[in-house]
Amino acid sequence: MAILEARNLTKIIDTGTHRVEILRGVNLEVPAGQFVAIMGASGSGKSTLLGLLAGLDTATDGRVILDGTDITGLNEDELAVVRGSKIGFVFQSYQLIPTLTAEENVLLPHELMGRDPRTGVARARELLDRVGLADRMDHYPVQLSGGEQQRVALARAFMVKAPILMADEPTGNLDSVNGRHVLELLLDLNRREHTTLVMVTHDQALASRADRVVTLKDGQIVDDEIREPAGAARL
Amino acid sequence: MKLSLRTAARIAWRETRSSMVKFTFVVLGVAAGVGALSGVRGFSQSFEGMLTSEARTVMAADLTARQFLLADAGQTAELDALAKEGVERTLITETVSMASQPQPSAEAAPVLVSLKAVDPSKYPYYGAVKLDPAMPLDQALKPDTVVAGEDLLIRVGVKVGQEVRVGGQDFRVAAVVISEPDRMSGSLNIGLRMMMSREAFERTGLMQVGSRAAERYLFKLDAGAPPVEEVRAAIKSALPESTVADFSQSHPIITAGLDRATVFLSLVSLIALIVGAIGVGMAMHAHLQQKMDHIAVMKSLGATSGEIMRIYTLQTLMLGLAGGVGGVLVGRGVEQIFPALINKLFQINAPVSWHIEAAAQGIAAGILTTLLFTVPPLLAIRKIRPALILRRDMPEAKLPWRKRVSELRPALAAGAMILAGIGLLAAWLAESPRVGGYFAGALCVSLLLLAAVATALLKGLRLFIKRPPWRIPALTRQGFANLYRQGNQAQAILVALGLGVMFTLTVYLVQNSLVKEIIATAPPEMPNVFLVGVTDAQTGPLKALIAKQAGVLGPPVLGPAVAARLVSIDGVPVTDHQVDGVRRRFVNTRSVTWEAEQPSDVSVLQGKWWAKGTKEPVVSIEEDAAKTLELQPGAMLELVASGKTIRAKVVAIHRVDAMRATPSAEFVFNPEALAGLPVVYYGGVRMEPGSVGALQRAVYAKYPTITVVNIADALAIAQQVVDQIALVIRFLSGFAILAGAIILAASVAGTRFRRVREVVILKTLGATKRHVQRVFSIEFLTLGGVAGLLGSLLAAAFSSLVLKRLLDAHFHFDFVATGIAIFGTALLANVSGWLASFRILRQKPLEVLREE
Repeated sequence: MAILEARNLTKIIDTGTHRVEILRGVNLEVPAGQFVAIMGASGSGKSTLLGLLAGLDTATDGRVILDGTDITGLNEDELAVVRGSKIGFVFQSYQLIPTLTAEENVLLPHELMGRDPRTGVARARELLDRVGLADRMDHYPVQLSGGEQQRVALARAFMVKAPILMADEPTGNLDSVNGRHVLELLLDLNRREHTTLVMVTHDQALASRADRVVTLKDGQIVDDEIREPAGAARL
Repeated sequence: MKLSLRTAARIAWRETRSSMVKFTFVVLGVAAGVGALSGVRGFSQSFEGMLTSEARTVMAADLTARQFLLADAGQTAELDALAKEGVERTLITETVSMASQPQPSAEAAPVLVSLKAVDPSKYPYYGAVKLDPAMPLDQALKPDTVVAGEDLLIRVGVKVGQEVRVGGQDFRVAAVVISEPDRMSGSLNIGLRMMMSREAFERTGLMQVGSRAAERYLFKLDAGAPPVEEVRAAIKSALPESTVADFSQSHPIITAGLDRATVFLSLVSLIALIVGAIGVGMAMHAHLQQKMDHIAVMKSLGATSGEIMRIYTLQTLMLGLAGGVGGVLVGRGVEQIFPALINKLFQINAPVSWHIEAAAQGIAAGILTTLLFTVPPLLAIRKIRPALILRRDMPEAKLPWRKRVSELRPALAAGAMILAGIGLLAAWLAESPRVGGYFAGALCVSLLLLAAVATALLKGLRLFIKRPPWRIPALTRQGFANLYRQGNQAQAILVALGLGVMFTLTVYLVQNSLVKEIIATAPPEMPNVFLVGVTDAQTGPLKALIAKQAGVLGPPVLGPAVAARLVSIDGVPVTDHQVDGVRRRFVNTRSVTWEAEQPSDVSVLQGKWWAKGTKEPVVSIEEDAAKTLELQPGAMLELVASGKTIRAKVVAIHRVDAMRATPSAEFVFNPEALAGLPVVYYGGVRMEPGSVGALQRAVYAKYPTITVVNIADALAIAQQVVDQIALVIRFLSGFAILAGAIILAASVAGTRFRRVREVVILKTLGATKRHVQRVFSIEFLTLGGVAGLLGSLLAAAFSSLVLKRLLDAHFHFDFVATGIAIFGTALLANVSGWLASFRILRQKPLEVLREE
């Protein structure tokens, strides 16, 4: 059973002077629990695909079915609710709220679902502890290093136990040591929380840890390879 | 790099263009201030222009002379001699009295009216009295008719054609007065108005020697009459106590009043302008913060700090100029609204025209203030290091304190420069260096206070959010925390908005407390009903009549008043003394009184009060008058009253300990000194408020010439004047609040980039529009609420200071007004904030995330 499904997904941008076809009829089914890496050269449409799958943008044509819900016709607020409950995000540039502490940033998705903050504090602290930031909970993003900020973002992504985790170049802004550390944490949390992981990357080493690698070129899937994750042996 | 002015201007324009939305707001802020300023000055010029061009109509004559007593035989002879040379004259008498229906009923009690007695065959010499139904004045005014303002007819409850009773006589109302040319030259421009012929006035019996009435002579120069200056001098010599005005100089009292009002209102407008300029300073600071990379690149490419400062100075000039030009357009609107605000005080049909001078002054003031407040951010350009481009995220190293103090020097210099500049600007507008100095000083104190309180409030709030006593949801907390967002400039917004609130609320509180004071703080034994124009023969029967009334709380007090003029002190004529300023009033005819014995509320400070029955003329002088005239016991005074000379010895200097309803006690004689002179009595009585109407009717029925003033009537008139003046000031200070709100919007627009990013993260994590609205609304409402609180606190402090120190009145904290100010400001801030960030909500997450 696919938890995430894209049918004939098309994205065209019409600038008035010319039309740019970013995605051209992409079909993709992701079963629950799978780790999919989306690869491709710059401008191949991989980030756009991730955005459409997550409901961050609307497609020109085609449908996206997310955990049984067709999100194609939903409005902005309905999409926000779906994202809040079904998807966790990790971005290349962390995207923390600068005016909230680490703990509050992690708690935020929980509160956005209308839940009592007090019921989430324990889990937020546990997640921060798991990413090694138990002693940094009261720090503001500006007081944290890049690697630490990304770890807060990781904790935030897992806060509401969303079934799907979307990551866009999660180690792109980090040095190799920090990048590796963040990746290990991401995969570890993913395994423990039984999440489906969709990750955009152009890092071969990172993709080699995935269950499946989908390669895009000029807005179309040119390769879809299911493989034995190499990382499993290494972990 | 050698940067030409042209290139600098081109770069400046490019930069402005790219931040159009943000700068539009600050330009509007400056425009609000310049608008208020040029509007006031333009209106003043229109008004003065009208006074000059229509001076004859405004005065209804070529010359006027106004005094508070009738010309005696000698003076009349001198005026008659002038008439033979072609100087026509007519007399207008203005006084107050009571009017009612012929049979006053409980529903229609007598009302206080301003009466104007004219000779309709001559008055007005210029212009015309407009009546409804339309007819010439001499046809309307007969010995048994009057014309009146519509409001009077409504209050008395009569219509045109019906009768109205004044001074015990009934008159038919012939028409309603629509307008009269010399209304603003009259003594009393407010209240209910009635006009009658001199014959009709004689019938009322209101004219008695010593009555408090203003006599205004209108003069018309026929062909062949002497030149106006000559006639003016002749009139002044014939009527030495009068205020003489001629058409060439318009009306001196109005022009002097207008000049003072213009200066005051210009300074109020300058505050609005300063708030706008603070906005430009803030916007420029935020703009330069965003352009730090850009500036660092330019510096690495060889541009000097001076060259870069030139670019941004030109940009400031453009903004100031745009604000100034926009403000002149706003000023046109202000000019149009202004006459409506003061229609009760003046009847004005001044045509609004373009006033180059007012417009130029407004634009110049706009540019200058804008430049002044941009000095600090412009100076900061020097501190931007080219290396910034390489290590932007490196935190600034904390400098040792000595270094930090020395780093403060340019900021202090900039502050001094701003202060001096504002002082010069105020001095220029007020045409007085002293006023400029006071203004700059008061503004400096206000700004420092506001800044200090704003900092304290913000710090307190931050401490509260950091360690809240209970758990605050993150979204709410984020709303608060956004106040401290980088580039948010909450403190400057608080100062700007707080300044506007403080000023507007202070005016309201002072006005309100003053009126309340008059109503509430009269001592319990103080009369609340005044009796005016009582003759010697009426005093006994009137007291008896009052004693029979229900609800009398104390015996009526009546004091005699004799009109007398001080001629000499110790044989030295007072006109030979230095008679400038307050001393001048002692040269004119004044009311003097007598007392047989020392009254209980009078204490003797020097000398000794006379024994009862003292025959030789003696006088006691009130301490302030004695100080002004430098009088000591033993001095000999010579006064003239009704042609009779009185020589009296000063035997005591006294102080009056209570508020009185009786005539002024500056000069108190023994009864023998004033025996045989025409006298009129004033006084009052304390009554149950519910019984005043019955007393008014009873006194009016028996003594129609006695005016019974219920304190509520007097207050209504006083309140009308206070209210209109306060309305004008509030209207103009409202521009400061407007400018503050615009600045808030500018600041919100300036932090748009950061806000968009936050909204996008929130939306990505599942926040709906309502969530985002909550975060921003909390931020705006807090900002507005704190500014309101800040302004209100300082307004309370300032009003208390003004009332206690300057006006010698009490201050009452007004919870309702303060509450409204705080909530109103919060609401205004929320509206302005949302106006500037509406588009942010519609932002699609991916559009922004991809740009990262």
